[in-house]
Amino acid sequence: MPNPVMPLTKAEEQLVAELNKTKTRDWVLGRLKTDLQIAIEIELATIPIYLYTYYSIVRNATSGEDVDPVQTYANMAGAAIMSVSVEEMLHMSLGCNILHAMGVAPQLYKKAPGTYPTPLPHHNRKGPPGPDGKTEVRIPLAKLGFMQLWQFLLIEYPEQWDAPPQDENWDTIGQFYSYIRCLMSTKFITDADFQHGAAANAMQPYNYSPNNVDTVYPPGKFDPWKPAPPGPMPSWATKDKYPSGSDAALYLDSDDSHAGPTQLMTVSTRQKAFEAITTICDQGEGYPVPRVGPDEHDDYPAKNELSHYMKFLILQAHFVDYPKTKETLPKEPPRPQPQQPTMSDADLLASGMVIDFPDNPTSAGYPAEYRPFADFCSACFQYMLIMSETVYRVPPKEQRLFFNEGLHRSMIWILDKYARTIRNIPLANGKYMAPVFENIDLGPQRTSYLRFAVYAQEAAKRADEVAKSNPGLAGVMGNISYYAKLAIEGDRKLPDVARYWAT
Amino acid sequence: MLKAVERRKGERANKVDPVPGQPVPTPYPFAKEPTFPVNVGPQPQGMPLHACMGLNSCAASDRYGSLLGGKPNACAGQGYCSTAVDHTCHVQNACRGQGGCGLYGTAEEMMNPGANECKSLGSCATPINAERFSTNGPNQGKSVWVRARKVFEQNWTEIRKELLAKQARGEIPKNQPLPATLGKPPASFANIGPSYLWISQDNNQRGNMTACGASGLSGAGGCS
Repeated sequence: MPNPVMPLTKAEEQLVAELNKTKTRDWVLGRLKTDLQIAIEIELATIPIYLYTYYSIVRNATSGEDVDPVQTYANMAGAAIMSVSVEEMLHMSLGCNILHAMGVAPQLYKKAPGTYPTPLPHHNRKGPPGPDGKTEVRIPLAKLGFMQLWQFLLIEYPEQWDAPPQDENWDTIGQFYSYIRCLMSTKFITDADFQHGAAANAMQPYNYSPNNVDTVYPPGKFDPWKPAPPGPMPSWATKDKYPSGSDAALYLDSDDSHAGPTQLMTVSTRQKAFEAITTICDQGEGYPVPRVGPDEHDDYPAKNELSHYMKFLILQAHFVDYPKTKETLPKEPPRPQPQQPTMSDADLLASGMVIDFPDNPTSAGYPAEYRPFADFCSACFQYMLIMSETVYRVPPKEQRLFFNEGLHRSMIWILDKYARTIRNIPLANGKYMAPVFENIDLGPQRTSYLRFAVYAQEAAKRADEVAKSNPGLAGVMGNISYYAKLAIEGDRKLPDVARYWAT
Repeated sequence: MLKAVERRKGERANKVDPVPGQPVPTPYPFAKEPTFPVNVGPQPQGMPLHACMGLNSCAASDRYGSLLGGKPNACAGQGYCSTAVDHTCHVQNACRGQGGCGLYGTAEEMMNPGANECKSLGSCATPINAERFSTNGPNQGKSVWVRARKVFEQNWTEIRKELLAKQARGEIPKNQPLPATLGKPPASFANIGPSYLWISQDNNQRGNMTACGASGLSGAGGCS
């Protein structure tokens, strides 16, 4: 089996030689640790941006027998964005595992962008000209649309094979990781540098799954009553001409699109750290260019998963704006032809498949009576980051249960459902309420659950009050109250991390 | 219930909301089957709760319980649907063996539907509707219920051994039969599991179960 790690480019070889000649071990080691924390923050920064757009999409408006082209597109876009989001969570976790292996606790809590629109950490503020001719890189929280997909392309803009490594003012994330690869390739860094944090305490491979029901989509109509294979299809189910949901489903992530032994992997050697970074770069921007791809290093080995960049570009290629867009795309990979069905921002809004979220909302910008709803959502997001940091402190035997009850539950069962709930609240400006993903302060990690619970209680209390004053929103308020209480009450509440932060 | 899409400003004015699930197969293929019970009936003493049809360990250990005098479920493996505390989503199962599977979860979990080790280590909603497929691992794209039944058959010898030990300790009544050979699931569902068409009573009671997921592919009423 060939080495899955991409070989150094000429530009990388030159930098490694220069670092070897001009720097010390202390400098390189310090810079590597600093850059890995920045890498984690870059990955983290993408998550609220992608989730915000994801939550603007209405996917399951009807069942399979009545899917129209706009719904199909919305469902495909949702699946694509969620498939990227889960891989960004993977990439953040891989970065955390490398840093943990080096003996440094990864920091996530309050490390997401403070305000929006925002550049990514250390991102060059000047990028390629967009559809509007502007070159400023400031990524907004915004609903699905042609311009927002351009912002996604800016995040995932592919590194060209001869691009220089950069860890300041980087042009592409690939160039940032390229710099990290160079630091790791110097004579100063050895396997021993990745053996300061026990692999057993790292985030374990079993916690990650590339697909879920939100990363799949049907490309058209399907018969919702047909059973899933392999059982023989009963005669009553054969009359409808459409395929079953299981036969129709398309999967946007692949379980073999990684370089190391598993997608989420622990790190204990330099080679494993290289493998983790290769997975990050390959899934994100891909290696689309001659010499370093597409070859055995590109989505190894099946080559059936598109890079994030290409997923977003294909989504954009459905828009009426695409054929004549002035946006500047790289030479490689080649841009796709316009796609069908043709879509527009107006189509998506008019169909109800995209909710008219405000751009870059803040809690302070919402009506006072609704702010506790936004704040609880942000508190939940921050508590999820605290739980992610806590994983490295949980005894290995307890990790699976902690991860399931903490992170899976909060992501799928609370944040996702809560965001879908508050988006039913109309605002005075014709828009609808959306998460704000602020770096809300929950105090020290050790006592954060207590403050998180206060935010939940406040949201539930305010929901009860609004339900009384505005009976038209009683159903929505009931759901807000339900999900807020679910996080802190009963036998399905989120775990209190206090005992893991006692020291 | 699956909610109709709320109309928002600017939506197509003349569009009529489609009725979810329409058209349904005709004639209704489960007319001779008992109606799906929304609530779980009284269960045999000491017997494990489970995630779905055909995963029961003894007579009357199904959704009907002893309400119908132990019928129509007269044997291990013949039961109609889950006795687990119904839940709609990943890691929401209350105990061992009560997790459904398929929508969310890891490849490992999806290879072991209905056979989770403990509370919160299960995956996805119960009961396991016939339309549901695994989204990860070797069972990707295939029936979750068929996989669950196979796992149950593979584990039955071990499960029975544990139950016999419990019986010997007096935790299960002495007259409780624990057959060595599993019975077959109800004939109408034998190779597919419980159809959502049956669970929803011919699409009339879509609220009888919900399953998570935004793609519309869960096969059951959505909760999001």
